[in-house]
Amino acid sequence: MRRFEYHRADTLEHASRLLTDLGDDTFLFNGGTDLLVEIRERLRRVRNVVDIKQIPGLSDITYDETRGLTFGALVTVGRLERLALVRQRYPNLYAAFASLGSIQVRNRATVVGNVCRASPSADTIPPLIADGAFIHIYSRTNMRVVPLAEFFTGPGKTVLAKGEIVTGITVPPASDNSGKAYLKHGRRKAMELSTVGVAVSLTMEDGLCNDIRIALGAVGATVLRAPEAEAMLRGTSLDAATVKNAANKAMEECTPISNVRASADYRRDMVGVLTGRAIKQALEAFA
Amino acid sequence: MNVTTPIEQRDFKIVGKSVRRDDVLEKVTGEAEYTGDVKLSGMLHGKIKRSAVAHARIKSIDVSKALAYPGVKAVLTHENVPRVLHYGSPHPRSASCTKDQYILDDKVRFWGEGVAAVAAISEEIADEALDLIEVEYEPLPAVFEPEDAAQPGAPLIHEVGPGGNLVIDPVRINRGDVDAAFAEADFVLEGTFSGGRPHPAYMEPNVCIADWDGSNKLTFWTSTQTSFMVRGILAEVLGLPLTKVRVLVDHMGGGFGAKQDLFQHEFLCALLAKETRRPVKMEFTRHETFVAGRSRHPCKIWLKQGFKNDGTLVARDMKLVYDSGAYGSHGPGVTIVGTTAATSLYRCENVRLEGRCVYTNTPINGAFRGYGVVQSYYALDIQMDEAAELLGMDPAELKLKNVVRAGDIAPSGHPILGHGLEICLQHGIDVLDWKKLRNRDRMPDPKQPHIRTGWGIGCEMHGSSAYPGIKEQGNATVKVNEDGTVTLLTGAAGLGTGAHTALAQIVAEELGVRFEDVGTIHGDTDVVPWDIGAFASHTTYLVGTAAKMAAGKVRAAVFDRAAMKLQVSPAEIDLSEGKIFVIGDPGRCMTVADAMGPSRGIPAANIVANGTYEPTKSYSFAAHFAEVHVDTGTGIVEVKRVIPVHDVGRVIHPIAAQGQIEGGIQQGIGHTLTEDYIIDKKTGRSLNAGLVDYKMPLSMDMPDIETIILEAAPDPGGPWGAKGVGEDPIIAIGPAIANAIHDAIGVRFRHYPITPEDILKALREKGA
Amino acid sequence: MKRIVELTINDEPRDMTVDSCRSLLDALRDDVGLTGTKKGCDVGDCGACTVIVDGEPVNACLMLAVEAEGRSVETVEGLQPGVDTLHPLQDAFMRHGASQCGFCTPGILMMAKKLLDDNPRPTDEDIRFGLSGNICRCTGYTKIFDAIKSAATEMEAARS
Repeated sequence: MRRFEYHRADTLEHASRLLTDLGDDTFLFNGGTDLLVEIRERLRRVRNVVDIKQIPGLSDITYDETRGLTFGALVTVGRLERLALVRQRYPNLYAAFASLGSIQVRNRATVVGNVCRASPSADTIPPLIADGAFIHIYSRTNMRVVPLAEFFTGPGKTVLAKGEIVTGITVPPASDNSGKAYLKHGRRKAMELSTVGVAVSLTMEDGLCNDIRIALGAVGATVLRAPEAEAMLRGTSLDAATVKNAANKAMEECTPISNVRASADYRRDMVGVLTGRAIKQALEAFA
Repeated sequence: MNVTTPIEQRDFKIVGKSVRRDDVLEKVTGEAEYTGDVKLSGMLHGKIKRSAVAHARIKSIDVSKALAYPGVKAVLTHENVPRVLHYGSPHPRSASCTKDQYILDDKVRFWGEGVAAVAAISEEIADEALDLIEVEYEPLPAVFEPEDAAQPGAPLIHEVGPGGNLVIDPVRINRGDVDAAFAEADFVLEGTFSGGRPHPAYMEPNVCIADWDGSNKLTFWTSTQTSFMVRGILAEVLGLPLTKVRVLVDHMGGGFGAKQDLFQHEFLCALLAKETRRPVKMEFTRHETFVAGRSRHPCKIWLKQGFKNDGTLVARDMKLVYDSGAYGSHGPGVTIVGTTAATSLYRCENVRLEGRCVYTNTPINGAFRGYGVVQSYYALDIQMDEAAELLGMDPAELKLKNVVRAGDIAPSGHPILGHGLEICLQHGIDVLDWKKLRNRDRMPDPKQPHIRTGWGIGCEMHGSSAYPGIKEQGNATVKVNEDGTVTLLTGAAGLGTGAHTALAQIVAEELGVRFEDVGTIHGDTDVVPWDIGAFASHTTYLVGTAAKMAAGKVRAAVFDRAAMKLQVSPAEIDLSEGKIFVIGDPGRCMTVADAMGPSRGIPAANIVANGTYEPTKSYSFAAHFAEVHVDTGTGIVEVKRVIPVHDVGRVIHPIAAQGQIEGGIQQGIGHTLTEDYIIDKKTGRSLNAGLVDYKMPLSMDMPDIETIILEAAPDPGGPWGAKGVGEDPIIAIGPAIANAIHDAIGVRFRHYPITPEDILKALREKGA
Repeated sequence: MKRIVELTINDEPRDMTVDSCRSLLDALRDDVGLTGTKKGCDVGDCGACTVIVDGEPVNACLMLAVEAEGRSVETVEGLQPGVDTLHPLQDAFMRHGASQCGFCTPGILMMAKKLLDDNPRPTDEDIRFGLSGNICRCTGYTKIFDAIKSAATEMEAARS
């Protein structure tokens, strides 16, 4: 492993300054479960890391029925996974959290970190996008809130400017008429990077789907929505035939690549299979 | 070994009991010292610069910047290490080796091969210095598939060997009249089979430490299964007498066969330590355990067999091509063992086999549990299932009809002892009520309409010891101490199987003392008797017999002393639980300590004996029964239940034997479904050299395993009939799974790993 | 840059002087001399380096030593309740053959300890889920499951 320098920030302002002042090859250090691996495996050249874990106010989790679920940048995946509220109201998030890495990794990794890493295969991103989550961004000049769906610009790339820091994520409240699911495809049942991940969040009214969001992981440069498939489903009873047609449409809407984990064709097939299964699972909330 | 040699029976006191292993207390408290835990004062850290191309000449290599880097103490390249052609697989009594390696060469033959080594005051500095070494390559055309490497005009990877990128001359076996038998067959089955490149992925990355003392003696700690081989080859290449090389290995974090080569880093570590006159440690990263470690040989097999309509197998024609990777390593041995194994398993009088071993510009393949046989029996067993399907027969019935039995000629050329395989197979059929399973209701569960279930059987046999490929020898020294305790010295490595415990049990049983009274010394080539290494499922069989012989000798010597003291003849006394007594008059007795201690006119005893055993071979057998669930939507196969039925002869330590079987099944499930170390066919780069993308089954993936061990066919060559167990499980589980998948979805797979993509593609082709 | 890190290891106050980029794993093994915790991959994929930090199991390779400042670290060396007594898990691992090569054992023991501390009566599924970040390449896990179930039963009996 190559050596690097460690800096501990006391405030967001301090962290932001360090990130801009220390020059290139300076990275924000939060859970560290990706960054340290990238350093060890020589995937990223790092001279400085800026640890934000001592900054106060970034560890909170709050929920209310109007604003929804908000958690800070330092909240680990494991903490959220163990929360009864998450299990009950956000089974999609729970499924994503409980399948990310291992228990040990989840006790260090943060959801915000997983999101900011901007991997197309990140487990937390599809259900957060399907739920319409927002991301809170600090900068020394102004704060901003960005819909998560607009946060990513490419694999490993986000709208964050140098010195900007994500402070937390807000997930809209889970209404009683909503159904949610996240299905992850991997060769094993744990310790997997997703080959394909499909998240579905939908609401039903009088037996009809009045809204649905489908988010597809690991089948594009970023996590993708499937807008045409969604349109085919809105206003329907989500009957088997419609779901099948929409799942086929989702297959057309994704842009997978082939790599050591799976071929593009197989990934596309899995988008079809898992979209159907995820809708079915989301509907189980109403059974 | 004479078939009629009777196997000694006795009322066992220690053998057959799951005594507490001698190594586990240290392991559960964290005190067990593995090679990487050794820390010497002033120790430097070594790192290896690895090739970024698959096949090239090194035009130039500039180390000046690395040498000038603060903290760097030495840099080695092909220009300043001894140039000695040596073996990779160092079995001195074996013909099945090829000398084709240099410590560092001016040529690289695979992506990731070491081209230079650095020693520095810290691991980080050594790592950073690697980037400062500038290597200029003159690229050579590379070949990554044996088919390409075997083409006329293909780029030659080595100057040595028979040529044409062959590692050894083809292995050919002919028995009977194959052509005539095919002409008489009622039907003929022909197919091609192939296996991927599974990696042993032992938990402890390779690691070694070298330290030279003032007398120019090298002390060398290394995680190896073959410490005496390491000593021998190191001494040969470094030009030292054996007295000047001491190899130490205490606990090992697994090996599964793959830690029995002499590795490049081991030479480099010794040379860096010599150059700097300081101890040097070299520890692989996990990535390096893939790139510079040893995997199973990918293999392509063409198999044609002729059958009679009653299921009798009459002819077998088989061609096997093993991919050795860039060096010979165990390629010759694997090819010989894997090819000759195909003479057996299912009886066939007319056999024509040809095994080839071919160099490619890929990482080195070596020894790995199942040694060439995993590949050949995968083909034999699956094709037997295909024959049953054609005949409309239950595969269990057809296999039962054709399995080898007592008196049949084993691959080693010896007659097989006992009906081990038949008994295992029949036992599983009975326990599972196989007929009922076959005829079960196959309607999918309405809650999971996409799931299909299937059951399959896989059969195997495997030899204990590498005979006749290697003429082996087991050694043990047993000493009786003056307090009546016993010390066993063995050169067998403790790679985690519990072998030392089994050896101590054998000594205690034979001698008549308590298990707790036997201490075991191992892992120091200066102290323990010579050992060929822990491999070929042979430690309990081979070293166990040697230990039993040594124990028998010291027992006789103790009896002589006790008899003298008790004033009876040695024939009149017996020994049990450390007590020596006059037969028929147990009141006249003494402890072993009494016998050993001084008494008037008799000095304290010094009783030491050696046992040396040169075995032929025994065979262990297994039939595995596996249930799978196939998801027809995703193609994912889940193994739900495995019932392994094994014959291992006399069981010395039941829990340890079960542990071998269950661990072998985990590895075999991985090989069959998810594990494959993938080399890019365009560049030769490793694509998944890590534990996330090299996918071993983990806790949630493992099926329920209900292990059954039968003492069906004990072999007089092993202690009280004990045979090997290490390799068997990994061979039988693969075809059991492939056959179960066929049972579930009606698609025949003749390769491994069988991926979800393969399943979906096949289902689509079938029109399901 | 070197830093002095003050922390508690197995209930003892300790300090270690480490490079700020050093992992907790390397610091424990090389600087503190507690080599029971093993390095199987150094990238969080194998679980051999599992230690418990402030009550939560983590991979010591994915944490910097400087981050352990002021925190409580438990390693396999601290698992024994007394010099001559073993934790029920240690005893069960020996009896059930749950440790073969033993390289994964320290990490699995720490993970199992946490599992039983939180969930004294785990189901088979709980145990499988709890160990899903720990690779064992020797046992096929069956004996490890047996040992954990057995230890849970004994600990339950000892409590009642």
